[in-house]
Amino acid sequence: MLTLFGSALVWLLIASLLGLINSLKFHAPGFLAAQPYLSYGRVHAAENAAFLYGFGVQAAVGLGLWLLCRLGRTILAGPACVFIGAVFWNTAVTLGTAAILCGQSTGYDSFEMPAWCVPLLFAAFLMLGICAMLTFHQRQPGRLYPSQWFVVGSLFWFPWIFSTAALTLLCVPARGVLQATNAWWYAHNFNTVFLGFAGLASTFYFIPKLLSRPLHSHYQAALAFWTLALFGSCGGIPDGAPVPSWIISLSVVGTVLTAIPILTVATNFYQTVQRDLNALDADPTLRFTYVGLFFWIIASAQQIVGALPTVSAISDFTWFAAAQKELFHYGFFAMTIFGALYYIVPRLLGLESSAWCPKFLKLHFWFTFLGVLIAYLSLIVAGVGQGILLSNAGNSFVDVMRRTMMPLRMSTLGDLFVLVGIVLFLLNFAGVCRQACCMARKERV
Amino acid sequence: MNSGPVLFVGLLAAMACSWTGFVLAPQMQLGDLTQTNTVPVGDTLPQNYPLARPGEAHGGAEIYRANGCASCHTEMVRSGNLGSDLQRGWGARRSLAEDYLFEQPVMLGLQRIGPDLANFGRRSDTNGIYLRLYDPRLITPGSVMPPYRFLFETRKIGLFPAHDAVVLPDKDAPPAGYEIVPRPEARALAAYLLSLRQDGYLYEAPPPPQLQAKTNAVSTNGVPTNAAPAAAKPAVK
Repeated sequence: MLTLFGSALVWLLIASLLGLINSLKFHAPGFLAAQPYLSYGRVHAAENAAFLYGFGVQAAVGLGLWLLCRLGRTILAGPACVFIGAVFWNTAVTLGTAAILCGQSTGYDSFEMPAWCVPLLFAAFLMLGICAMLTFHQRQPGRLYPSQWFVVGSLFWFPWIFSTAALTLLCVPARGVLQATNAWWYAHNFNTVFLGFAGLASTFYFIPKLLSRPLHSHYQAALAFWTLALFGSCGGIPDGAPVPSWIISLSVVGTVLTAIPILTVATNFYQTVQRDLNALDADPTLRFTYVGLFFWIIASAQQIVGALPTVSAISDFTWFAAAQKELFHYGFFAMTIFGALYYIVPRLLGLESSAWCPKFLKLHFWFTFLGVLIAYLSLIVAGVGQGILLSNAGNSFVDVMRRTMMPLRMSTLGDLFVLVGIVLFLLNFAGVCRQACCMARKERV
Repeated sequence: MNSGPVLFVGLLAAMACSWTGFVLAPQMQLGDLTQTNTVPVGDTLPQNYPLARPGEAHGGAEIYRANGCASCHTEMVRSGNLGSDLQRGWGARRSLAEDYLFEQPVMLGLQRIGPDLANFGRRSDTNGIYLRLYDPRLITPGSVMPPYRFLFETRKIGLFPAHDAVVLPDKDAPPAGYEIVPRPEARALAAYLLSLRQDGYLYEAPPPPQLQAKTNAVSTNGVPTNAAPAAAKPAVK
């Protein structure tokens, strides 16, 4: 499990580094443009792959395995299999990302891994997934806690959407524009449902647990779970796409109905927390998880707003969606995972929570929080500005792009902060691992 | 919700709903889409649409894919009520499913950091494309597009200058005796970009009214048309 977490963090670092490189290209278009490996399009695809597959999937699976063990009051089934699966997965992601930089991307957004890499990824995920299901199966009898549903949901969702995408995009490519709809559907499911479920599993576990207060309502949690599975999985098709309009309508309706899970989750936690925000300072996990939840609500609400036809006519194809993605990935998912890791890692290593260096921890929080906020707000400004200016055909395209450069360049600062935050966290993480090694050595002596 | 099987079946059902709506049903509707006929305008005859790309353009699509051009350029024009795509001259009509029949992979893109390219072949020429790839700011001052110099090579002029050497303005021209020639990748990419044209009006996107009037005049002359019913009706009256 530690392998999963450790390598996930390294991938996160790589992804944010690639993101920073691309962000810098908006300061000087010629920056690192001489090498084909570092051209904007390739770096963009590699950043996606490193974040989604290197960090996203590994963090989600690692967290899921830990929650299944903890909530099922059992031990991990087949730890060796999990380890081998993690090694396979990392090998596949490394090869795939390198191949993307060499120009082997498939050309589908969020599904860039080259075709030969996909079976390897799938096999590695199956190894991890089967161990997770066995762990779930050998749980102690008793009522299932919402986090368990969310974990099982996320671990089931991924192989389905991944195999659908692999079949309809690579094995037997669908005809014409269907490839685009399938790729959009896949990307939407990956983010909204898979990453959403995985992150919320952590939120549902840690907030009540660390407040020592029961979750307000299991029924509301169930409602949120099922509606997110049902409606969160419908969407991702932009308005005006060259497809029959019923597909677009279905996508809009599904996206708008995700208001139900958002409101349910929000009220559920509002009742659970009951304005007890004192604990925020006391526990780093709680602080990260709160902020992650808050960002999830904003990012999901923005997705709904962006799907409304009147808005999407302006906001589609601008930085608006990039801002939403930034907030969802770094603000919600990464923040929630950081929070969970502050709790989990010392316990996995047999240490106390005090093993973390508190100064680094505090700096990590503020760097990440401010970084995400700066990047998000500047991208939103860029997106809305671009959309409004572009809707007037009198503004020439290049003129509009020049006017959005200022906020875009601001967002580089945010990316830099996030990167510093991740480096701080990795240093802290390494420190904790070293303490564990020292302790193990002492015990042996 | 305390039993595993209930959870699994529920998730399966939710996934099945989404899968049916977004993968299966579109496949049933569009999966066996074939070539169609264009709606004739003026004195043109209906033509097969779309036509397959020429060979070199296929290789160019691979260059377009490999370098992730779609991360900044879309290849779809939205209809008149959505954005200013048509007014910017990015296309004569909105894009339709038929336009992508022979694409592999289909790279519609989701973000416009650069302009839409669905009809780029209609508004550019080979040297223009080379110039844009070599240094985008030569043609569009202030452009944020990175230069793609690795698609070109500077070499000594042999017996004769290359026929497709890039024609640069004087201040950017290579030293005397040298020329900048596109590598095969750049040639293929240019062929692909020139092949990007969503020509011809189709049943779902008929010609605008002023053009339709001409269409009807022709159809009464007995030329078989595939015109939209809306366009054909006034002619019957």
